[in-house]
Amino acid sequence: MREYFKRWVTIRERPGWLEGANASILCIALVLAVWYVLTAGEHAEDRIIDPITLPSVGDTLEKFPDLWFDRAVARSAAWSLGRVLGGFTLAAAIGVPLGVLAASFLRLGAFLKPISIFGRNIPIAALIPLTLMWFGLGETQKVMFIFLASVAFVFFDSSGAVQGVPNSYLDAAYTLGAKYSARKGLIGAAWVGLTYAAVLTLAYYFLSRAPGPNDVELRASWIRWFWGMGFFGFALGFALWFPILAFQPIRKVLLPLALPDIVNSLRLLFGLAFGYIMLAEVINAEYGLGAIINLSQRQGPREHIYLSLILIALLAFAIDRGIIALQRRLFPYRQVGEH
Amino acid sequence: MAAAVETNACSITDAPKAPAKPGAPPIVEFKAVTKKFGVGTSREVTAIKDVTFTVEDLENVGEFVAILGPSGCGKSTILRLIAGHAPQFPATSGEVLYHGQPVIAPGPDRGMVFQDYACFDNRTVIDNVAFGLECRGVPKRERTEAALEWVRKVRLDPARDAYKYPHQLSGGMRQRVAIARTLILKPQVILMDEPFGALDPATRHNMQDLLVELWREVQATVFFVTHDVAESVYLGDRVYILSNAPGTILHQFHVLAPDRPARQMMREKPFQDTVFRIRDILDALEEGKD
Ligand SMILES: Nc1ncnc2c1ncn2[C@@H]1O[C@H](COP(=O)(O)OP(=O)(O)O)[C@@H](O)[C@H]1O
Ligand SMILES: [Mg+2]
Repeated sequence: MREYFKRWVTIRERPGWLEGANASILCIALVLAVWYVLTAGEHAEDRIIDPITLPSVGDTLEKFPDLWFDRAVARSAAWSLGRVLGGFTLAAAIGVPLGVLAASFLRLGAFLKPISIFGRNIPIAALIPLTLMWFGLGETQKVMFIFLASVAFVFFDSSGAVQGVPNSYLDAAYTLGAKYSARKGLIGAAWVGLTYAAVLTLAYYFLSRAPGPNDVELRASWIRWFWGMGFFGFALGFALWFPILAFQPIRKVLLPLALPDIVNSLRLLFGLAFGYIMLAEVINAEYGLGAIINLSQRQGPREHIYLSLILIALLAFAIDRGIIALQRRLFPYRQVGEH
Repeated sequence: MAAAVETNACSITDAPKAPAKPGAPPIVEFKAVTKKFGVGTSREVTAIKDVTFTVEDLENVGEFVAILGPSGCGKSTILRLIAGHAPQFPATSGEVLYHGQPVIAPGPDRGMVFQDYACFDNRTVIDNVAFGLECRGVPKRERTEAALEWVRKVRLDPARDAYKYPHQLSGGMRQRVAIARTLILKPQVILMDEPFGALDPATRHNMQDLLVELWREVQATVFFVTHDVAESVYLGDRVYILSNAPGTILHQFHVLAPDRPARQMMREKPFQDTVFRIRDILDALEEGKD
């Protein structure tokens, strides 16, 4: 026992897997115990906190089947995830290559700095009315909200990761003959451009349902937009990736050496974005975890709010673990933080 | 300022070991090269001042030039000027000539080995060694074969080490990788900036012998910066001693080429005399500094 407590006060003493898990379980048990004590009692008068403010542990758990079956929480979670994934993929597809370029070509970095500073300092809450004005009430608004909320941070972190690669690697690459090769750049960038075009046109196809064949004028405009998206996607992908792929020092040295840090920051930012999406779902969303919380607050049962919060935490934790596992596989030469 | 050339300075000396290629320009030539950092600011420093020297392109052999000097006197600056690395390159004034032409950019004909190895962390040993060939567009099978050959030449175990990542290697092994990836490109000039500075003495002796062996094979001209006087006398054909900052070449010795293993040769009397002589000069410089 004495030994055990001594380990608790030893600086940087790393617990084994089981001991660490035990400490975490202890924390959960403690929170549940406090919750239980605060809400114990048959009648409202016997309880320290009344049932309106905080339902009891038992009541909350009883409402779970309701949340799972009637409210279909799993489907809502899938919707929330889909929206975040859409917006965040877009943010990464633009923010990462732009950040790599800004840290490689420092004049471009200076040029983009004002936008980066502005983008990182927009209050998230202000993005809700703005995106509602620009993109209406549908799914596009939610995806673009996530995109706008995260792209500046993705850019900033990616740029920072590349700046963090020591100069000596670059010097070594030069003395080993790393050079500019337009041919490799053209081929690679063309493929990336096609991918960007395909993803954007598909996204457009699903987010804005094509008007029926009767509505000739609307349909023509929709088709124009469809091809416009494709062209824009190709141009974007090509322009962003051509310099990265053509300059061997970037493609073979800066980008791969920075990539573990870039992916790590994407993981952290994805967690944030997953929290943000609830903000957008509170307004006019049929499905989504945010919608469920909003609905439960207005129509009850309130127990669903607490259950949803717990589910969100579990889901976020699972995703985070999943990405960490992926990082370990992708970058065996890098240790990923143990937290 | 002309450097004092002290041939016959140390009982074990000789003239240049081979005749220069007739009609060929010197392989590296510095003409009154000065480098200042932060020109026009309050923090202007002169790193090297009026450095002048010539290293001839010798018939069938490369010369091994060891560079000694107090810290901060501009040794790295000289190497990086030859390599063409910013911010040391370009020089503020004077000419840095390579094969008679001004240096304009870094290139694989002037390989560089750094003190901190700079092995690419994301590449296995074999991919690190093959990096230069990969940049050239050599097909994968061919470059892997060549890389394996060089892994063997720097005495790493191809079976055990070839697919390890740098973080799984010791400092000495990483420096072997860095040397292999430089020499595989058959550079004409090899620039080594305190390459063994971070290694323990035993590893260092092994690396010195390995370097001598490989250098004979590739026949490149080597510029080798070191703090270790014995190392410079053992490895060098010629030893340059730089003055305190701003550096300029104070002395130039011809010393005997290494023909026996480091541990053996370093015990002999003439060798030690030379080392003590050079160390005295350096100590005097260090004292004059404060
Ligand atoms: N990038 C730089 N910016 C400013 N000063 C520098 C830079 N690099 C080197 N110096 C200065 O130039 C001088 C010589 O540096 P260096 O060639 O690295 O010395 P050495 O390798 O002999 O220790 C030092 O005074 C150093 O402070
Ligand atoms: Mg130095």
